[in-house]
Amino acid sequence: MKKIIVSVLGHDRPGIIAAVSDVLFRTGCNIEDVSQTILQTEFAGIFIASLPDSLQIQNLHASLCEKLGPMGLSVLLREMGETGLWDAPPSDPFVITTLGPDRLGLVARITELLAGYGVNISNLKAVFRGGENPQANVMIYEIDIPATVDQHAFRESLYERGAQLGLDISLQHRDIFEAVHRI
Amino acid sequence: MLSHREVLATLEMLKNEHLDVRTVTLGISLFDCASDDPSRFIENMRTKIGRLAANLVSVCDNVGERFGIPIVNKRIAVSPIAVAACPFGPEEMVRIAGAMDRCARDVGVDFIGGFGALVEKGFTKGDRALIEAIPEALATTERVCSSVNVASTRAGINMDAVYLMGKTIKRTAEMTRDRDGIGCAKICVFANIPEDVPFMAGAYLGVGEPDSVINMGVSGPGVVKKAIDRARASNPRLDLGELSEIIKRTAFKVTKVGELIGRHVAKELEVTFGVVDLSLAPTPNVGDSVGEIFQSLGLSRIGVPGTTAALAMINDAVKKGGAFASSYVGGLSGAFIPVSEDLNIAESARLGFLSIEKLEAMTSVCSVGLDMIALAGDTSAETLSAIIADEMAIGVINKKTTAARLIPVPGKKAGEKAKFGGLLGEAAIIPVPGLDGSGGFITLGGRIPAPTQSLTN
Repeated sequence: MKKIIVSVLGHDRPGIIAAVSDVLFRTGCNIEDVSQTILQTEFAGIFIASLPDSLQIQNLHASLCEKLGPMGLSVLLREMGETGLWDAPPSDPFVITTLGPDRLGLVARITELLAGYGVNISNLKAVFRGGENPQANVMIYEIDIPATVDQHAFRESLYERGAQLGLDISLQHRDIFEAVHRI
Repeated sequence: MLSHREVLATLEMLKNEHLDVRTVTLGISLFDCASDDPSRFIENMRTKIGRLAANLVSVCDNVGERFGIPIVNKRIAVSPIAVAACPFGPEEMVRIAGAMDRCARDVGVDFIGGFGALVEKGFTKGDRALIEAIPEALATTERVCSSVNVASTRAGINMDAVYLMGKTIKRTAEMTRDRDGIGCAKICVFANIPEDVPFMAGAYLGVGEPDSVINMGVSGPGVVKKAIDRARASNPRLDLGELSEIIKRTAFKVTKVGELIGRHVAKELEVTFGVVDLSLAPTPNVGDSVGEIFQSLGLSRIGVPGTTAALAMINDAVKKGGAFASSYVGGLSGAFIPVSEDLNIAESARLGFLSIEKLEAMTSVCSVGLDMIALAGDTSAETLSAIIADEMAIGVINKKTTAARLIPVPGKKAGEKAKFGGLLGEAAIIPVPGLDGSGGFITLGGRIPAPTQSLTN
C-alpha cells in the first residue's frame, strides 16, 4: 500500500481540515498522521495517509484541488519515499532558547551551526516582533545532538555564535523542561 | 513538544532566580575500613574514598553542564568516625581528621562530614575519644565537619553529652580564636539526626545506609521568593492559602530538577541514589536568601511577630511540594535559618529583630535549629549547654530534628561583628539574657528520660 504526504497552505479559516479530510475519506484514504500550525494569519497542515491500491495519485490531487482551490488553499501532494535517506543517529534531546533583538540572519546563522554539527531540529518555534522586549523575540529549538558530537565543543561554539548575534542563548537538556512542568 | 510558555518559565527559574543544585553529597561507609591499627585504618579509608570519589567533582560538573544547572557543592559524608574508629584514642582521632581533610582536598571537595558520634543514650570509648578530639581536629583541618547526636525522641536527652558539647564548643572557639571561632561553624549538635543529611556541617552517613550513596540537597530560596513576588504582582489579592500553593508548586519543580540531576550523577558514578533533601538553604548572596521570602509575604523583616507562622507555612508547603515530586525524600527537608549565612537574616539579627528566643521559637516549626548564631566570647560552657539543651528538647518532644551550631566568638561582645568568610558569612553577635544562670541545672547531668511521644509501638 502506497503512502502519500499532503501539504495544505493558505489563509486560516474554519473548515480547512474538514475539507481535506472529507476528500481523503471519500477517496478511501486512511489518515495516519496529521499536524497543523498557524503562523500569524496563515495555516499550514501536513497529512500522511495510506492510499487504496485502486486510487491514482493524480486523481486524488485533482479531487483535492477541486475542493480546496475555491477556498484559496494550495495543495502539494507527493508519494512518501522509502526510509533510509537519512537515519536518525543515537542522540540526546536538548533545547536551545534564544532571546534578543531581531535582526537579519538569526535563524540562518544558528541553523548553519546546527547543520555543521549534524544536529537535527525536531521542533522550532521562533517569534520576531521587533523592539527590545526579549520575550517578543524568541527562538526555541528542540534539537537532537548525535552521541558522537562533543557536547562541550558544541556548547562553546553555540554560545560564541549567540554572542556574535547579540543573543542571550541557552542550551539545556530537554529532560529539565519535562521534569519541571510535567507529572 | 514543549510549549513556548513552559520553556520560558523554566528558563526564568534557571537564569534569574538562582535555581541550582546546592549539594551532591557522596556517602561512603567506612565500616569495612575498620582496624585496630590507626595507620591501617587511615590507609583503608584513603583508598576507599579515593576509589569512590575520584570522579565525583568531574561527573557533577559534566552533568551540571549537560543540564545547564550548576551543582554548586560536591561533598563527602562518611560513617560516624566514633563508630568506625571506635578503638582509638583522641590523638589517633585527630590523625584521622587530618587524613579526612587530605582525602577531601585530593578529590577536590570543599567539605567532608562524619567526624561525629551518636551518644543520645550514652558513650562508648570511641565516642569520648572523638569528642575530646573535636577542638584540635577542627582547628587543624579546613574541610572536616563534625556532628554529634546527643538526644532523640526514643532515648531522651543525654545531658552529660550536652554539657560535654558545651565545653567542646568553648574549647574549639578558643583554638580558632584568630578566625572568630570558625571551628565552631563546623560542629552541629543534634537531636534526632537523620542518617542521610546531605547538607554540611551535619552530613554523615548513617549506620543503616548502603556502602555508598548519593544524597542531594536542592535549594532555591530565590526561586520561591520570585515566584511569590510574581504571583502577588499579577494578583495583589492572593491570600495565604493561595500563596502557600505557589510555594508548594515551586518546591515541586525544584525537587524534580534536583532528583533528575542526582539520579544522573548516581548512575554515572555507579552509586545508589539515596534521597533528595528539600531544604531551602540560603547563601550570603543577594537574591539567595530565606529571610527575603518573609518580606515577600508582607512582613517588614524576618523576626517581627508573624514570623513563626509564616515560617510554619513555608516549611509545610516546601515539604508538600517536594514529597509529591519525589518518593525518596529525606535529610532535613525544610527551611534553614542560618543567621550568618543569609544576608537578610544576619541584618535582622543586627537590628535586633531576631533574638535568640525568637530564633528558638522559629526552630519549633522549621527543619533545623539554632544555626550559625554568633554569641559573645564570654558565654560560659554551661550557658552554651543550656541553649543546646533547650533546642534538643524542642526536637525530642516534637519528634523532629533540631540542631545547634553556636559560635562563642572569642574576645568579642554582643553587638560586635563576627566574620567567617565564604559561605559561612558574617553576623552580629546577639545577646543572651540571664547569662550564667543555668550552671546549677546543667551540672546535674544524667539523661532526661524519653517522653511519652516515644511510646509509639
